[in-house]
Amino acid sequence: MKLVFYSSGEPKDNLELDKIMLSQMAPTDPQITFIPSESSESEIHFQNFIKQYQKLGVQHFIHMPIDIPIHETMINKAFQGDIIHLSGGNTYYFLHHLKRSNLLGKLKKFVASGGILAGTSAGGIIMTPSITTAGFPTFDCDDNYISLKNLTAMSLVNFEFFPHYKKSKRYDQELASYSKKSRLPLLACPDGTGVIINGDVSMVCGKLSCFYQGKKINFKY
Amino acid sequence: MKNATSINVNKGMYDKFCQVNGIHPLASKVPDSCVLYQARKRKNGKVTYFNFNLAKSMGLIPEDHQEKITNELDQIILDTFSIIIINEYDINHKIKFKEEEILPNKYMATRYLQLQHPNKQGKTSGDGRSIWNGTIHHMGKVWDISSCGTGATCLSPATSINNKFYQSGDPSISYGCGFSEIDEGYNTLFFSEILKKNGIETEQVLALIRYPNGMSITVRAHSNLLRPSHFFRYIKQGDDKNLKKLLDYYVDREIENKSWGPKPTSEKEKYNQFMHNITKTFARTTATFEDEYIFCWLDWDGDNILMDGGIIDYGSVRQFGLFHHNYRFDDDARFSTTITEQKLKAKYIIQTFAQGIDFILSKSKKKINIFKHDKYQKLFDQTFKQYKNRNILKKIGFNSNQQDILLEHNLKDVLKFRNAFSYFEKAKTKEGPAKLPDGITWSVIFCMRDILRELPQLYLCDEKNILPEEFIDIAKSSYATEDDLYLNSYRQEKINLFQHQYWKLIRAIAEKTNTTPNKVLIELTMRSSVINKYYRVTGDAIGNIVDTVLKQSPRLAPEELEDLLHFIVHQQQFNPDDISSVIEHKKHENYKIKNRILTLVKDFREGI
Repeated sequence: MKLVFYSSGEPKDNLELDKIMLSQMAPTDPQITFIPSESSESEIHFQNFIKQYQKLGVQHFIHMPIDIPIHETMINKAFQGDIIHLSGGNTYYFLHHLKRSNLLGKLKKFVASGGILAGTSAGGIIMTPSITTAGFPTFDCDDNYISLKNLTAMSLVNFEFFPHYKKSKRYDQELASYSKKSRLPLLACPDGTGVIINGDVSMVCGKLSCFYQGKKINFKY
Repeated sequence: MKNATSINVNKGMYDKFCQVNGIHPLASKVPDSCVLYQARKRKNGKVTYFNFNLAKSMGLIPEDHQEKITNELDQIILDTFSIIIINEYDINHKIKFKEEEILPNKYMATRYLQLQHPNKQGKTSGDGRSIWNGTIHHMGKVWDISSCGTGATCLSPATSINNKFYQSGDPSISYGCGFSEIDEGYNTLFFSEILKKNGIETEQVLALIRYPNGMSITVRAHSNLLRPSHFFRYIKQGDDKNLKKLLDYYVDREIENKSWGPKPTSEKEKYNQFMHNITKTFARTTATFEDEYIFCWLDWDGDNILMDGGIIDYGSVRQFGLFHHNYRFDDDARFSTTITEQKLKAKYIIQTFAQGIDFILSKSKKKINIFKHDKYQKLFDQTFKQYKNRNILKKIGFNSNQQDILLEHNLKDVLKFRNAFSYFEKAKTKEGPAKLPDGITWSVIFCMRDILRELPQLYLCDEKNILPEEFIDIAKSSYATEDDLYLNSYRQEKINLFQHQYWKLIRAIAEKTNTTPNKVLIELTMRSSVINKYYRVTGDAIGNIVDTVLKQSPRLAPEELEDLLHFIVHQQQFNPDDISSVIEHKKHENYKIKNRILTLVKDFREGI
């Protein structure tokens, strides 16, 4: 299984993660599929995405918004690629449309057959067992404006993912408190950091924290 | 007068509003071109929208003015624009108005030709419910300002047909009552701002004032609000003196506004330059309308369009999602032209101008057919073709430098691609013509924006043609049935030709710019994803968006309406060279309306 979790941040902050993904996990001359969390204005994100990866030598890109009707041809091409990148955005909206377009199963198969699945922020959360972490902290959470009830996600890993983490008392209090109720460890990643899973090898990139049963443990790569 | 005093109170920051007082140079230069009306204050108006950017570029407010309608600004907008004419009905019925409510100057309703009027010489037609508020000079530019919904004039079709004057707001008639409804104002506002953002010339809404019972005044501005129909009236009437006066007035304004080159040194040069400019403008405009799927009802009267090809009067204007080339707007008594017939009507407008110029110079009015094959008709065709060729390259995603290269070195390939493109763009359903709430159409089966958006990225992945079945899968519109999409050998051949020509253009650019086809395709992928984005408003979408916004409007502050408008315009930006950052609209207030707007754009994206 090949997975990359990005918290978010500027392209330059994620360069290390990108380089590891491309040099250690991907084949040469890879094709990347960009799946935005929502189609509206995704062309602007797609442009930035291309510019970011073009600098690293990637030449083949597919843009596949999933909250509009998708052509069968585009789905086939998207899943023929080497890397699929799930973008950031509203996690509830994104998960809802991935389920509605029956793509969660396809994404799991893609991972099982050796494809690299990367996710930034909301995209990363969706790769975990549930998207509960999108709902806190109360002062900076996604708005569940579509009133999504079923928060079950892809369950590709046995931890929870918390992007945009900032080392502060109020974040730590909320995350520690949540982790007391959760059976899974919660990886809290500041922007520019992330987690890579390449088969049996897991590694963290940057300084991040793990909250488990009310306690905080720091990691550094 | 009390009224004048109330404006004077606002001296200072809003001084320029005082210049918008009814006085307009056209009334003195060509007195016959208008009917002058005394006007009075109209009560119970509420400013629901004010275009700060436009007002700043017109110098009406300082550059650093906050984007908020303060009490003082609100008052000056109402003082200046919340007015109603004292018309013939009022005078004949000796209706008394308070002296302090009557404004000091007269306002003009201009005369122009209109095909829906029984008199085909423009003797009774023109601004039926509008007046011109005046002009504003700022930074070397002159702006015309007019308002729609300011009362019934004697130039409305209702007065002409029924031979009687109407009281403003008479509920027994609709269009002839002189008032306009708020949804018309919103429709014009949203549509014009979107088109303006995408480089289409248009009138712009400066302010919207709302009145009880859903009525409104739409204040609009443009650098020159004259239409061809203002001129054609004099040609039809055989009045070369007034035609010359009007034309000279127009040219002087264009020179003052620096939209012409150097000042002509002779009368002959002036009129030649006029014909040259107007021909190129209308050829460019109609080619762009056709390629951007903008339906603007052009006809022999030269109404519905400004002299610079700008759109005026959004009543019948549409932006199609697909190339609905058989759509005709149903205006009760008659059907409009189709989008492809716009070109013929534009050519006829040029032909009429040629007749008019010859009339001025020779003092004798010749038959219009004499000008059917003159040099300006040829110039029109030539310019039209040039823009069609450039537009298709632009749609594919080529930047302006690449467009220049292909037009100079690979014109034959461009034409071949255009032909293949046109075959798919025009392909219709087997179902045949169908009635619509506002007209008739014959639906088309392919969405060419979709194929242009997806093709470069698919080529990037496989570096070869896609299968005919894949081509159809991507390009098919929601109107197409399985039967419509049948892949016969002719269609397969066309798909192959389309792709073959597309690749030829890519390779030509790669060769000429010393790069690889892959790099060209990456650039096209990025540019085309913006140019041909999925979300593109249609006339149907705008109508529904206006309904949605109107339902919310009693609770919307002008600043919130401005925010919604900004959101829509930002969404509808199709210029890949001018992409600003993404708006985090979900976090803003009113995100539910914004999401509703996006859904409407999506749901009606292939419509009329």
